[in-house]
Amino acid sequence: MVDNSEASASSDIKEQDRLLPIANVGRIMKQILPQNAKISKEAKETMQECVSEFIGFVTGEASDKCRKERRKTINGDDVCWALETLGFDDYAEPLKRYLNKYREIEGDRANQNKASISEEMEEPPLNRSNQPKY
Amino acid sequence: MAEQEPESTITESVQPEIPTRRVKRIMKLDKDINKVNAEALVVITHATEFFLQFLAEKSALVALEKKRKTIKLEHLRVAVKRHQPTSDFLLDSLPMPAQPSDQQLLKDRAKSRANKKPVPVGTRKIDAFFQKFT
Repeated sequence: MVDNSEASASSDIKEQDRLLPIANVGRIMKQILPQNAKISKEAKETMQECVSEFIGFVTGEASDKCRKERRKTINGDDVCWALETLGFDDYAEPLKRYLNKYREIEGDRANQNKASISEEMEEPPLNRSNQPKY
Repeated sequence: MAEQEPESTITESVQPEIPTRRVKRIMKLDKDINKVNAEALVVITHATEFFLQFLAEKSALVALEKKRKTIKLEHLRVAVKRHQPTSDFLLDSLPMPAQPSDQQLLKDRAKSRANKKPVPVGTRKIDAFFQKFT
């Protein structure tokens, strides 16, 4: 397609950026397919492209929603909404549950961090020099 | 009972198989995308895995229907066509059908040209007939 070797080299670099690693793609496919299943190279590479299209498509939809609502950051709810809107409700439901769990875990972690930070702040600065040496 | 099931699914798949950094890079290819928070990235990564598994599974089914052992691009295409939401955004992005069919078309045309007998001098062509009356 591209005659210029320089151009094709730069498009190769771009491909690495715009596609997921084929090893990961292959591994995920192997997990779901029967052991003796074979996939042509062309099909595997096309799956790579399809997956990138999916990411762009869903993100774009979530991004539009944020823009309409005058928000700058896409959050998990926006992604779930986009999945539902685009007809991937099969994913939206389990992912919403996952998101809640994730927020729970992250919330706990954040609270723990806050607690330890506030402890440090309460200690007088001189305390450091008084720390016993082991 | 049903409530317990999603929990185990979530804890099993906490770590995405796909590298989130790459997913983020792909998302950022769209210049309109501003910021994406951590939870959104994780949700989209998992959704992408679901999508890939879905494509692989459905393609394998098509290959099976056609009694083929190797999953090929045309099987993927049929799988995409069969799922409306996926077809809407993906069908046009798939590579054109395999070249052998184009080559066959050219071969057929060449054959028919070779078989044509030269027309006698003075024979009126059908085009002339239409040009007169339109």
